[in-house]
This record gives sequence, structure tokens and C-alpha cells, in this order.
Amino acid sequence: MKLFNLSENKINDKQLKELVLDPNSGGFVCFEGWVRNNNQGKDVTKLAYEAYNKLAIKEGNVIISEAMDKFTIKKAICTHRIGLLEIGDMAVWVGVSAPHRDAAFKACRFILDEVKSRVPIYKNESWTDGESGWVEQE
Amino acid sequence: MINIKILFFGKLKDTWKTSKLNYQTSSKTTEDLYQELLTKAIGEPHKDSIKVAINDEFVNWSSPLNNGDTVAFLPPASGG
Repeated sequence: MKLFNLSENKINDKQLKELVLDPNSGGFVCFEGWVRNNNQGKDVTKLAYEAYNKLAIKEGNVIISEAMDKFTIKKAICTHRIGLLEIGDMAVWVGVSAPHRDAAFKACRFILDEVKSRVPIYKNESWTDGESGWVEQE
Repeated sequence: MINIKILFFGKLKDTWKTSKLNYQTSSKTTEDLYQELLTKAIGEPHKDSIKVAINDEFVNWSSPLNNGDTVAFLPPASGG
């Protein structure tokens, strides 16, 4: 099973959490990114994520491997949505289990930051004025 | 001349008005190809922020092109 995945359907966070929990770990840290109704001063109605699927999955799994090497953690998983999303939908889920909390927090942050900057996923927002456009990373 | 497929993502789809292009070129490298495409595009994306991939692998701007390659131009990611 790949540890980084793209999903065209709603993210099943309960199922993902089950996969990350580990009897050797005393800590579990998770981040959920949700679609909010505003961005960069504009009112957002919905958005679409598109990805270069093959390369995104490859690069996402490289990031998970880097996190496993860099931090003392047991398991890490990340799933990113693609396709059309509504306000309040979960866009990304990262979960990490580790013997101790510090490594779990740091690894979760590392995976999220690296996914946002390196994985070829692109956000197209629709705004209340009827326009839409590609969004640059802040 | 070689035949390649070019993929554009994100805002580069708007720049080149397409997401996919079957293309014939005499360009030898990714850099040559990019410069060639710039002469046909409206607007000039900043190359510093663009990544390039061949056949689903990130490559650099001096990577050689071969017949049948799929070349992708990728703007900065905006996931998350």
C-alpha cells in the first residue's frame, strides 16, 4: 500500500487513522486541511484540485520516506483530494504515529509543508463574483 | 526532428491554452524546448519557478529529449 495517495472521493479519515495507529507508539498527531470560504481577500464558493497524478504519487511517497528517515516515528500516511471540492470538505489529511510527541508533531508538519511545496497539485478557485483562477501558494 | 507529447498544468494550461500537445521539435534539451515554446505563447512564465519532468520524473533544464518522450511543465505547486 502506498503511504501517499490522491483521492477523487471524500477522505476517509477514520480509516486512515486506523492504519497509522501503532502499539509501539505513544503519540498520534494528525493534520486536516479543509476548504475555507475565503482566500487572499476573495470569497470562495468551491475549488478544484488537479494533479500530475503519477508524479504526485511518486513525489508524495518520497516525502513520506524522508520523514521516516528524518524523525523517530513509526508510521506516516498522507492523502490529498483531487477533483471538485465544496466549502468544508477535507482537502488533505496527514497522520503520524511515534513513540514520543515531539517527533510526531515535527514529522506531521514536515510532511504537510513538503507536500504543499513539492507535490504537483494545483488549486483552481471559484469566487462569488463568478470568476475562477489558479491560485499561487502563499 | 522528434515527436513528443507536452503536458501543461495549472496556470501554464492558460498560458498555452491547452493541457496536452502532440509536438514535433528539433530541440535537443528541455531548455531548448521551453525557449521554443515561449516564442509561441502569450505571456512569459518565469522559468525560475517552473519545474520540468520527462516521463513522470523530475529532470533539469539540460536534460536531453528523445523521440516519444512526455515532457511536463509544472508551475509552483498549490496543494494543501
